[in-house]
Amino acid sequence: MKGLPLPGALIALLLTGAAFAEDATVNRLLAAQCAQCHGTNGYALGDMDELAGESAKDLYEDLTDMKGEDRPEGIMDHQALGYNDDQIRRIASYYAGLPEDEPGSAGAGSSEGGTGFSDSEEDEEDEEDREEEHD
Amino acid sequence: MSLTRRTILQMIPASAALSMMPRVKAQTPHRVVVVGGGFAGATVAKYLRMWSSGALEVVLIEPQAAHISCIMSNLVLNGRLGLKDLSFNYSALQGNYGVNVIRDRAVRINGAGKELKLKSAGWMPYDSLVLAPGIKFDKIDGLDSRQLPHAWIAGGQTNLLRRQIRDEIPASGTFVMTIPEKPYRCPPGPYERACLVADILKRRGGSPRVIVLDANDGIQAEKETFSRAFKDLYGGIIDYRSNVRVDSVDSTGRYVYTSREVGGVLQEETVRGDVVNVIPRHGAPKLLVQSGLTAGSRWAPVDPVTYGSTLAQFPGVHIIGDSQGTGQPKSGHMANSQAKVCADAIIRRVAGMPVDTDERLDNITTNSACFSPITATEASWLTAVFRYNRDTGAMGLVPGSLGEAHRWNSENFQEMFTWSENLFADTFS
Repeated sequence: MKGLPLPGALIALLLTGAAFAEDATVNRLLAAQCAQCHGTNGYALGDMDELAGESAKDLYEDLTDMKGEDRPEGIMDHQALGYNDDQIRRIASYYAGLPEDEPGSAGAGSSEGGTGFSDSEEDEEDEEDREEEHD
Repeated sequence: MSLTRRTILQMIPASAALSMMPRVKAQTPHRVVVVGGGFAGATVAKYLRMWSSGALEVVLIEPQAAHISCIMSNLVLNGRLGLKDLSFNYSALQGNYGVNVIRDRAVRINGAGKELKLKSAGWMPYDSLVLAPGIKFDKIDGLDSRQLPHAWIAGGQTNLLRRQIRDEIPASGTFVMTIPEKPYRCPPGPYERACLVADILKRRGGSPRVIVLDANDGIQAEKETFSRAFKDLYGGIIDYRSNVRVDSVDSTGRYVYTSREVGGVLQEETVRGDVVNVIPRHGAPKLLVQSGLTAGSRWAPVDPVTYGSTLAQFPGVHIIGDSQGTGQPKSGHMANSQAKVCADAIIRRVAGMPVDTDERLDNITTNSACFSPITATEASWLTAVFRYNRDTGAMGLVPGSLGEAHRWNSENFQEMFTWSENLFADTFS
């Protein structure tokens, strides 16, 4: 099916219908490769697009559009070129299946605990031989 | 386990399968010991716990109380960031995900007996072992990194280089840096550093020089961007030289003794700097070399389907991040990416699910995205996606996915902070 244009109705059917027959952890792993930039499980921090709870159709169309750019300009134009049509569909369907708001978001993954500023007041001089620690 | 049960397990997510396991298997959970709390180790520990819904026991062995990120650390040199901004402790991994963090050092591996020796706590048995110890530097004759810092493992070294640049380069002075043979950690990093140091010195006035001695045959990443920056933005300051080998150094006098082959003739040259930044060649750390996991090579050979060692005498041993030898770029972003593939493989195995189904093999990907500051306020970026190739058994760059920014600008500089914030959080919290 790679490269063939699909009518909207068929896309919708594939996006909703295909998931149950697929290996759920495969889709989870594939989708987790977006999390480096878009946040764990697609719950992003700061001014980064959130993926969790987005419509599968929108995600699929956005990624497909980026992939089709004549002259890729942004990071995502290139990233989208890294995935085939089936993978884009799997990623879209995975994130669409997650709730829009992060479960228990008051705790895990909040930006407060998130950027993890160190509490330690280690003297910088003490760390100069840090690499030796890795021997 | 009966065949029927196995079949059922294969049809449901591993997290659900694992939560059923205590009823099937003995009470002792599968124990994964992770060595190293950098981008690879922290990510694998977090995702193992998260994806197994806590069914796996995960122990993280790390000698330091916090990891100091190399990512963004060139911005410490110009004072934009401090080490505190780049320090990540393990309280979130411990508190939010139940990772058992032990401050100790791994010193030996007994592959056949599946146990790991810790410097303080002694032998610790494991079911799976994930090694993410980062890099070790080659020795260079005459090198004392306390005088000629590498600043390529972030921490005190980064501050040392910052202070030297601040205090020890006079107006119209010279900064010398050496780039090691590939593969080294963070392909665009050295060129980014050259730009930032040139930017610092340019602001001081005079006619400063930044001499870049590259052991490779040319710029290794973002070639368009850095070629242009070296020529247009820092023309007259940055003096870039390729194929330059560092033979030895004089740490006190700050001399670099180099050689370079020109037309079959070896030319020797001595280069002196007011500050000299020597980044030695990298390899896997001693723990891996001495245990035999590198099999006589510089990096540990692994199967990118699981990141398991390809050596039969190390069952259940995985290597991720900079010390593995798949040939993918060495970076924190890639380390995080590989960690997820590894975590998924371990969880599937424990749940009795095969790791080599066609469906999984067709969807093993990793990716890299990173920003490079070019000036104090502008940045460029680089990105790539890798996909498992069933014919070669290796990760390959997906055509078209490799790209670099068309121009450096302040927008990219702002996005760089959003990118790193999310990467740090996905890894450490």
